[in-house]
Amino acid sequence: MHRKSSLIYIILIAIVFVVIVIVFDTFPRTRLSQLEKRELASFPPFSWESLADGSFTGKVSSWFSDSEPFRDELMTLCMQIKHYIGITPTEDNIKFHAPEPEKPAPKPKKKARKPIDVSEDDHSETDENTLEENAKIANAGIIVVGKGDNVRALMAFGGSATGCTEYAEVANYYKQTFPHVNIYCMVIPTSIAYYCPEKVKRYTNPQLPTIRNVFAHLNPSVRPVNIYFILKKHKSEDIFLRTDHHWAPLGAYYAAQIFAKVAHVPFRNLSHYEQHVVHRYVGSMYGYSKDIALKNAPEDFVYYVPTKVKYTTTYTDYTLNNNYQIAGESKPKEGPFFYKYKDGNGGAYCTMMGGDTRLTQVRTSTRNHRRLIILKDSFGNMLPGYLFYSFEEIHVIDGRYFTQDIVQYVKEHHITDILFANNIFSAYGKSTCNKYRRFIKQPPADSTIVSPVTTSSDSSLITKSLNPETPLTPNRQ
Amino acid sequence: MVFSDLFFLFVFIPAFILCYLLGSLIDRTLLNKDVRRTHQARNMALVVFSFIFYAWGEPVYVFLMLCCVLANYIIGLLIDHQEAHRKAALVVGLIVNIGILGVFKYANFFAETLQLTGLNISSPNIALPIGISFYTFQSISYLIDVYRKESPVQHRFIDLLLYISMFPQLIAGPIVRYGTIADNIHRRHASTSDIAYGIQRFLIGLGKKVILANQLSELSDLFLKNNLDSLSVAGSWMGIIAFTLQIYFDFSGYSDMAIGMGRCLGFKFNENFNHPYCCTSITDFWRRWHISLGSFFRDYLYIPLGGNRSHQALNILIVWFLTGMWHGASWNFIIWGLYFGLIVMVEKYTLLKIQKYIPNIFLHLYSMLLVIIGWGIFYFEDFSSMVTFFNALVGNTKELTDLLSETALFNYFWLWIAAIILSLPVFSGLSFLLTKCVPNTSFRIGIVTTAKVIFSIAVLVLSTALLVGATNNAFIYTRF
Repeated sequence: MHRKSSLIYIILIAIVFVVIVIVFDTFPRTRLSQLEKRELASFPPFSWESLADGSFTGKVSSWFSDSEPFRDELMTLCMQIKHYIGITPTEDNIKFHAPEPEKPAPKPKKKARKPIDVSEDDHSETDENTLEENAKIANAGIIVVGKGDNVRALMAFGGSATGCTEYAEVANYYKQTFPHVNIYCMVIPTSIAYYCPEKVKRYTNPQLPTIRNVFAHLNPSVRPVNIYFILKKHKSEDIFLRTDHHWAPLGAYYAAQIFAKVAHVPFRNLSHYEQHVVHRYVGSMYGYSKDIALKNAPEDFVYYVPTKVKYTTTYTDYTLNNNYQIAGESKPKEGPFFYKYKDGNGGAYCTMMGGDTRLTQVRTSTRNHRRLIILKDSFGNMLPGYLFYSFEEIHVIDGRYFTQDIVQYVKEHHITDILFANNIFSAYGKSTCNKYRRFIKQPPADSTIVSPVTTSSDSSLITKSLNPETPLTPNRQ
Repeated sequence: MVFSDLFFLFVFIPAFILCYLLGSLIDRTLLNKDVRRTHQARNMALVVFSFIFYAWGEPVYVFLMLCCVLANYIIGLLIDHQEAHRKAALVVGLIVNIGILGVFKYANFFAETLQLTGLNISSPNIALPIGISFYTFQSISYLIDVYRKESPVQHRFIDLLLYISMFPQLIAGPIVRYGTIADNIHRRHASTSDIAYGIQRFLIGLGKKVILANQLSELSDLFLKNNLDSLSVAGSWMGIIAFTLQIYFDFSGYSDMAIGMGRCLGFKFNENFNHPYCCTSITDFWRRWHISLGSFFRDYLYIPLGGNRSHQALNILIVWFLTGMWHGASWNFIIWGLYFGLIVMVEKYTLLKIQKYIPNIFLHLYSMLLVIIGWGIFYFEDFSSMVTFFNALVGNTKELTDLLSETALFNYFWLWIAAIILSLPVFSGLSFLLTKCVPNTSFRIGIVTTAKVIFSIAVLVLSTALLVGATNNAFIYTRF
């Protein structure tokens, strides 16, 4: 190279390099990724053991690579690059995104303050749960179909027609434990059951045989709630989110309708609700698949608020340590049921109840002596809002976050109905079922009462910087 | 630590540059008259940072590497300082180096092979230290060159440590001969042109690895990593061609980065790749692929065994057996090596004699077909998977094409195009064209410099973004 041109080259490259070094090495680290909806790695604690086995230096590299400044912007650029290496010649374009390789569960930064022993081996349960759920994501991983504004992300299902029996067994066990309580079992299908293009079907297993298998293993006294066909009937409506792994509130409405019929409780149609919309919502599948096509096709998150019923909502919030074990719980505190999110906020799925890490108790103006517990995962969050006309009280218990003895709880609150409402991936997982079983066996927790937390809990996965704008004022009279 | 890592690029490298420049300043200020100490400070910086580089990933085995260098240092002195037992000292040295390699890389393999014969031997489960195949081979080349009096012995331990452990080539080559850089240890100068060339070469390597190889690995994994039973014919070909391109860009990219960094420091490492996929025979392929390994086996094994002067066929098979074995402690690598050994032998008596009468296009197709098949043997360490794969490759599978292969063509379209084009000597071609079209030298230099700046900045920025999104980023050859 010519000397002068070499010098110019070196200077220009050095300028760009130095700028990047200054940004990466001196700017504040990113702590939360809105795009990936997770907390990013923090600087690892030092020990001579971790230095000797290489884990300390490995984690330092991982921390540096995970929490760089402007991470979301760089990730978006990364996804743009990956998007542009392909072409989309047809409307029915299909892309496969392999499931993420399993990451080891993080070790807690410090010992949690008086953790509540929900189980003997919760740490392994966390791994097992993730591993099993990942195992039910078939090797095809996430399949993104369509083009432009119609693009949709589907999670390939790897379960079999003979699986998921444990979910039925736990419902049977609850019936045995609570012979005078109505027990219901709902398996919530996911979007791939309805929106899978014909040529992609070989990469995913059908869900209806698995759902039927669950119901076939229920005791006659346990009532199945089969929502598969009503969702199929309404599949041309927005019953599943395109950019998120969850269903849409409208899908839950139809499911609640079926449940109300099975439970023989009153049910009101959508004319008794007020529609709200969070525009430009981009959900979890964007972060999971890292496919920019999803970011470029935001959708409306449409939900419904009951207008002709009075209700109050009480929350007991759980705080988690870095291993997602419960480390404390708040005193019960009233709050809104529906939270309002701004347009474009990726946390809008938390509109109902503000998230999962809380025990929710709703008391309505309905007077029929029917009191419901919903044992749910995040899919189940969408159901309670349609049941205020149907039950006097609704107690929403997340399968991952509950510290009480459920036998006592049912007695204390005069529960008449218990609904299992979990999506098929979660229902397939043994650990989900084991958690529900433990609710019956676990002793009352000697809980650490911490300050009441809002939805911006430090350890909440999603809500750190995705706070809702304002709660929607419940209709109290 | 690996080169294609954000921590290496934006923490290690800046820290190293600062310390190295400080070392250079100290060296110039002290102006040491002792020729062995003129680069003392900067060499110390290089050694310390190389130690940190290796220890970052191998905090325990870094001491194995140090012990290996110490052993070679002592044995080198023993070889040089007396005549009576030179050969014995060399043999001891070879035993030490091959012994280290044998224990840490092949102990599990030997145990598992003996288990197959029915012997009840438990696998020792010894972890493989990164780069052991490279630094032991460099040590062997040093001892043999000293024995042959082709290179002077190194009297300073720190300088031998610098040669063997310097981070640009420590963990994935190229295998640098001591004679290549011996003079540069105390006498080297990196001109402005050298530094510019080195930076450019480093960035080309970074782009090859991060922009091309990493994306190609996603493509090859799509077909070859899981679910081989449902692999279609098209999928098998797509997967293995993607892997063919991936391994080239992965390994040559790393070599480019090593050569680039070496050049910035004033070391001129030999080329390790010469557009291997432009070969016209398998013999030609191995003159272009991993050149430093091929020349190592030629100079230190093939020729001492007798070369083409006595029992040539046996010599070739031994060399290729060991070439395959060097690549991995698994029988598929040995078969891969013997596969090429047999082809090289056959070509010697057939193709090479009539090559000039055959159009190049057919020679390229013939060579690439055999290379791609070779990578199929290389990829699968599990024999049943290999059999399933080759069945699909030859059409003995359920489907000719499937959705996965059809969509992979479109979803990675520009990647295919870029990878195929960039595996050819495209930059030389462009340079030739430019010389023809723009005869004005200064104008041409201006265009070239501008293009290089834009290209380099684009590679740096794009690679940084892709590294942010990367989950698994190891070099294929670091497992050796």
